[in-house]
Amino acid sequence: MSDSLPLPIQLVWLIPLYGFSGMVLSLPWASGWIKRNGPRPAAYLNLLVTLLAVLHGSWIMRLVQQGGPQHISFPWFEVADLQLRIGFDLSLTNLAAVELVTFLSLVAQVFALGYLDKEWSLARFYALVGFFEGALAGVVLSSNLLMSYFLLEMLTLSTYLLVGFWYAQPLVVTAARDAFLTKRVGDLLLLMGVVALSAWAGSMEFSDLYRWSAEAHADGRLSSLGATLLGLGLIAGPMGKCAQFPMHLWLDEAMEGPNPASILRNSVVVTAGALVLLKVMPLLRFSPVVNTVLLVVGAISAVAGGLVALAQVDLKRAFSYSTTSYLGLVFIAIALERPSLALLLLLAHGLAKALLFMSVGSVIATTNCQDLTELSGLGSRMPATTTAYLVAAAGLVGLLPLGCFWSFGLLVQSLAPVSPLFAAVFLITNLLTAVNLTRVFRSIFLGAPHPKTRRAPEVNWLMALPMVSLTVLVLLTPLLMQRIDPVPGIADFSWIVGLLLVGSGATGVVIGTMLPLDQFWSRSRLKPLRAIQDLLAADFYTERIYRATIVAFVAGLARATDWFDQIVVNGVVNGLGRLSIDSAENLKLSVSGQLQTYVLTVIAAIVLLLSGLSWLGQAGIS
Amino acid sequence: MPTAEELERRLLAGETLLAEGANHLLEVVGVLESYGEVLDAYSINLIYQAEQQFLNPFPVFKFLDGDLSPAKIWRHLIHDRLNFEYAEYCQKAMFWHGTGGLDAYLDSDTFSASCEAIIARKRARDPLLALLDPIFRDFLPELIRSAATTHALGQFWRVMSDLFIDLANAERSGEVQSIVDVVEFIKVGLVNAAGNPITYGVMVAGEHYWVLPPDAGLTFLADVAVPYVEAVFLRGMPFLGTVSFNAQAQQISPDQARFTYGALFADPLPSMGAGIPPSLLMQDMFRHLPEPLHAWYRDCGRGEGDVRVKICSSFQKSMFCVTNAAIAGTMPYSLTTQAPDEQRANKAYAAAWASRLVTARTDCLGAQGLD
Amino acid sequence: MPLLTLLVMVPIVGSFVLLLWPGSPPPLRMRNVTIVVLVFQLILSLVMAGLFDPAMPGMQLQELHNWVPNIGLNYSLGVDGLSLPLVLINAALTLVSAVITRDIDKRPRIYFAMLLLISGAVNGAFLAQNLLLFFLFYELELIPLWLLISVWGGSERAYAATKFLIFTAVSGVLILGAFLGLALLTGSVDFSLTPLDGERLAMGSQLVLLVALLIGFGIKIPLVPFHTWLPDAHTQASTPVSVLLAGVLLKLGTYGLLRFGLGLFPDAWALIAPWLAIWAAISVVYGSLAAIAQRDMKRMVAYSSVGHMGYILLAAAAATPVSMLGAVFQMVSHGLISALLFLLVGTVYRKTGTRDLDVLRGLLNPERGLPLTGSLMIVGVMASAGMPGMAGFISEFLVFRGSIVAFPVATLISMVASGLTAVYFLLLVNRAFFGRLAITPPSDPVADARLDIRLAAVAPRETFPALALSVAVVVLGLVPVVLGHFSEATTTALASGLGGVG
Repeated sequence: MSDSLPLPIQLVWLIPLYGFSGMVLSLPWASGWIKRNGPRPAAYLNLLVTLLAVLHGSWIMRLVQQGGPQHISFPWFEVADLQLRIGFDLSLTNLAAVELVTFLSLVAQVFALGYLDKEWSLARFYALVGFFEGALAGVVLSSNLLMSYFLLEMLTLSTYLLVGFWYAQPLVVTAARDAFLTKRVGDLLLLMGVVALSAWAGSMEFSDLYRWSAEAHADGRLSSLGATLLGLGLIAGPMGKCAQFPMHLWLDEAMEGPNPASILRNSVVVTAGALVLLKVMPLLRFSPVVNTVLLVVGAISAVAGGLVALAQVDLKRAFSYSTTSYLGLVFIAIALERPSLALLLLLAHGLAKALLFMSVGSVIATTNCQDLTELSGLGSRMPATTTAYLVAAAGLVGLLPLGCFWSFGLLVQSLAPVSPLFAAVFLITNLLTAVNLTRVFRSIFLGAPHPKTRRAPEVNWLMALPMVSLTVLVLLTPLLMQRIDPVPGIADFSWIVGLLLVGSGATGVVIGTMLPLDQFWSRSRLKPLRAIQDLLAADFYTERIYRATIVAFVAGLARATDWFDQIVVNGVVNGLGRLSIDSAENLKLSVSGQLQTYVLTVIAAIVLLLSGLSWLGQAGIS
Repeated sequence: MPTAEELERRLLAGETLLAEGANHLLEVVGVLESYGEVLDAYSINLIYQAEQQFLNPFPVFKFLDGDLSPAKIWRHLIHDRLNFEYAEYCQKAMFWHGTGGLDAYLDSDTFSASCEAIIARKRARDPLLALLDPIFRDFLPELIRSAATTHALGQFWRVMSDLFIDLANAERSGEVQSIVDVVEFIKVGLVNAAGNPITYGVMVAGEHYWVLPPDAGLTFLADVAVPYVEAVFLRGMPFLGTVSFNAQAQQISPDQARFTYGALFADPLPSMGAGIPPSLLMQDMFRHLPEPLHAWYRDCGRGEGDVRVKICSSFQKSMFCVTNAAIAGTMPYSLTTQAPDEQRANKAYAAAWASRLVTARTDCLGAQGLD
Repeated sequence: MPLLTLLVMVPIVGSFVLLLWPGSPPPLRMRNVTIVVLVFQLILSLVMAGLFDPAMPGMQLQELHNWVPNIGLNYSLGVDGLSLPLVLINAALTLVSAVITRDIDKRPRIYFAMLLLISGAVNGAFLAQNLLLFFLFYELELIPLWLLISVWGGSERAYAATKFLIFTAVSGVLILGAFLGLALLTGSVDFSLTPLDGERLAMGSQLVLLVALLIGFGIKIPLVPFHTWLPDAHTQASTPVSVLLAGVLLKLGTYGLLRFGLGLFPDAWALIAPWLAIWAAISVVYGSLAAIAQRDMKRMVAYSSVGHMGYILLAAAAATPVSMLGAVFQMVSHGLISALLFLLVGTVYRKTGTRDLDVLRGLLNPERGLPLTGSLMIVGVMASAGMPGMAGFISEFLVFRGSIVAFPVATLISMVASGLTAVYFLLLVNRAFFGRLAITPPSDPVADARLDIRLAAVAPRETFPALALSVAVVVLGLVPVVLGHFSEATTTALASGLGGVG
């Protein structure tokens, strides 16, 4: 790092620290130390530091646009042959991602002021969001694998704490735990990869790792089995973070948490996961198996996620599964080496999904309800919410010329010649998403009001303002994308592809319009249909499968170990102990003695020992 | 916990639901006094919001009651203020549950007509609303309905605030010496105010419009107090901190009439935890605790440490007294009536209440004090 | 000034001062005297750290006096990067133990005297440079600890204390046997650490002696299957004693293993290292699985100790520079984290009267529960589960990173077990701290939802030790250099002395 770099770039390490400092600043209120005044100053302070992060990030971005990308690193812990460093990769991509993270965090925090206006534990919420934001900003800027892992784990922790925010709520008790453990599985496999790479390659910087993997592959140091296992470990972390099958369960569970956190989780957390995948991707080139796994996982997640979303009656879950589905598409794009297109899709999806979850939050705040069968007829009364929903939906579906339309177009265009199957996955997902968004729209916004939606005024300005701002931004996404990807431009696909996209989107809308809407907790009368409905509604019984397999296995093993410990190990010990039971009794008796007894015991033991030694010593000499 | 029959018997015999006792008296009167002071501020603010912030898209300073002095803004920023969000929460609960005469009036044609007049006037001045109104036809009427509820709740709390402060004064002067006296005092207050008209008018661009005109005939007890009790004391809204909103878990009844999340049913123990909105009220009352009650709280349990749970528990007792007074005040006939028809009507009325209250937190009623 | 002697003698003299204090002073004064002595000990330890030259791998600040020359017993003390951190956490954690001892109604004089005696003896064992001297101190700590468990323990204390005594006595006999055997076989009566060299022996004899040491120290660590005394001792011991036991005394076992097992018999060690790695993996997995099945919070933490101490054996087996440093890190971080966890479990037990996970719920309740204890518990379990940013992560990372080159399979298995840590500790936190506050089995949901729980509040001063430990855990996790700085030279030398494996 040279000292000639502009100060804002040298101070880039502040960007994750803004979020973390927000957490520290919130502590006086979160810990209940300030008792008489309310917790709102903690929220204002967090908003302030997040704003600083946004400004600092955009300043650096401008400097990098002028002066080119930079890499900055600091030593953290260097011992023996181990070099652990803190590194920041200031490329335009990473900085754009930081801007996305911090900006969405800012918007979600303002939204939370309105959504959680009657929440007394507000300071704790903001402390956790600050922590969350700091870790996220660090992950996207990170230039080395260890730091990425470090911060990804912190994200897991903050997810646990945010999902566990309403800790007294019965479902939260298990949801927070399961969300943590599901993510932890991915993190652990990633750690295995990190440890192995650290041992083999030495440095943890991504650039060094790329070089090492190429060399190691070339000179045969890295066997194909080794490369495959390593690759599987490395993709497990992003798979968990991006809620891909079969590690998607946590996102469903995470929906028990507060909605403002869900906004971030469904937009930027998954994006951060995908960015980590992008960063490790050059290491995976040497294992076709890993690539296949990525493709299969991505395709299953995309299609199955889309199908499962269709069967959800819960408003938040209907869209969290759609997140799984879209990240599946990103996985496919990454696996087929279309990183820049994957980034465009991430951007378009992130913004639109955040907006969608804001709209969802508004509906929940107004109606105290997230059951699709009980929601209806909000459209004419909630302009900001309805508009936000429509714009977000348009931004997600390849039908109207907003973000995802252009990303899908580019991706389908580029994939169709090499792997038409995966191009088809994009179209199918597009269709399924359109069906889902349309059915939910009809359910919530159209029709006659239900009892719980009979009195539904638009939300307060603290929720409406960020929602409207983001609506405008989602409408402007194509311009943003055009700036990021100026050559050859986002419209660089044939009209046939465009037609296919519009066709799949429109078909989805038509199907969604014709689909019968769920009544109060009803199920279909047709038996096969009902079975499929149940299968999808229960997310292919993933949770039950986990319970019957992994959970049962570990629990059984634990019980067996405990039994073995109690009966066998302890039994043997007690059996042996019984032989010396008399001496034990004697020892017990002496416990009740006087001070002198204790001292005598100690001294006697030492004297005995010394004389024994002395005797041994004599023997040794003679 | 008392059975439904026992509750019914107490109501018909004119006994109080809450057992007599010096501690109970201290708790109920003390907590109602602090509640009265908090309600005073809530009421002023709700009326200010409904009148001065009417259809304001960005009511940034809505909690400042028009006082924009730096000192007040600073106190607002450091959250050294009452939590008016709780007043809004009660308003939302009342509006959302939508029962009683006020709610019925909000769906009437007269109301629609006055809405149209107001909106027409407003649209002429406000391009944003002029743009939104034709597309979202029910947007502004719904906001006006909400404002009407806000104002009505402000008027209701005005009366209750004065009543609770008077009660504390009456207790100090020795006029009120027992729980029976408390219930009687509140009942008389409610009955006296029963016929008070509820009206609401706004100034739009210099012109006065009625939202709730006097000739709608809305009155204090039947059209606001009873729906308020229904929405806030009995039904309430599910707390995010104790109930899962997950549709698949089906923890929340689809029928709002079967909700039991209200003040009489709520569990005081999680107060001040996450996702428990009444924590805001407990904090506000904590800031206005009369010294005798505060001193008593300091002596029991964790003293200052769990004071807000104790306030919640006392508050629940006092709300049983208010409910008790409201039931007594709305009994169809005098309790001393000898006519069998009237007795039957009274019995049916008391039984209806008893059956609802039997699942409430009636376990606090017999307990003497907190320890 | 003989600093190391002071470190050993200050607490021991303090102990005798307490024993001989005239009259019957009130317990509080006893506690204050103890705290003053321990603060002095802590200051001395810090002075020692200040004088210590981190760049030098060998023994420093050495003191040597002949004591009983005809049995080869020299009074010889010294400190290096392996013992320095342990002396520091001994001072810190004994101080914590004394501070958290609040209501000793039974024989406070003996209690505090024993506490000081243990601390002095442990310092002696860590600093001793003579095998017999080490053994003397190693045994010296045994009787006071046995007393602490058997006099101030729970209802089953007699059983637990006896079990502890028998196990540790066997451990002592094996260690002494190995030391004497070494002397007899090499024909030397000089028990000084430095010139001793097991390498001169035949491999068969080396192996026999090493196995005796392994089992001897394995009991103390404890490694499966010699661990059954530990959960019983912990469940019966009072909180301060558990803190001391888990935080400091178990480290005698791992310290002995590294210093004597690895240090004296490097060739034999290298020979059986693969078996040791397997043993470590079994111990780690076994401890974690057994912890999952526990319902008593304290037993759960105790079994987690069994698991986490296993990492040190893994690191020692691999014996690479990084893994050896990892072993030191793991000793320190396990000391801090397990002390923190025992402290918090102790607070819960003192306030609620139970540690049963089937009974405790909702302790995070802000007004009536133990919210700060709960928050620190989350910090503690996350640190134990290896969450980055806390001491557990960097220790585990160093252990795994150092060991994977030598024993990939055993390392990967241990990593899986580190995942299991999250399983049982999340069970603990979510059961005991989440949900509605209650301390009854939830058999009747309606009645249960109406229970009005009254627990005594946790005073801020009661939380202070746990808060301090949490800060230490986070600081060590974020700035590992503070420890790596002291130990790197020594651990690298230890590893290179071994050669071969790494």
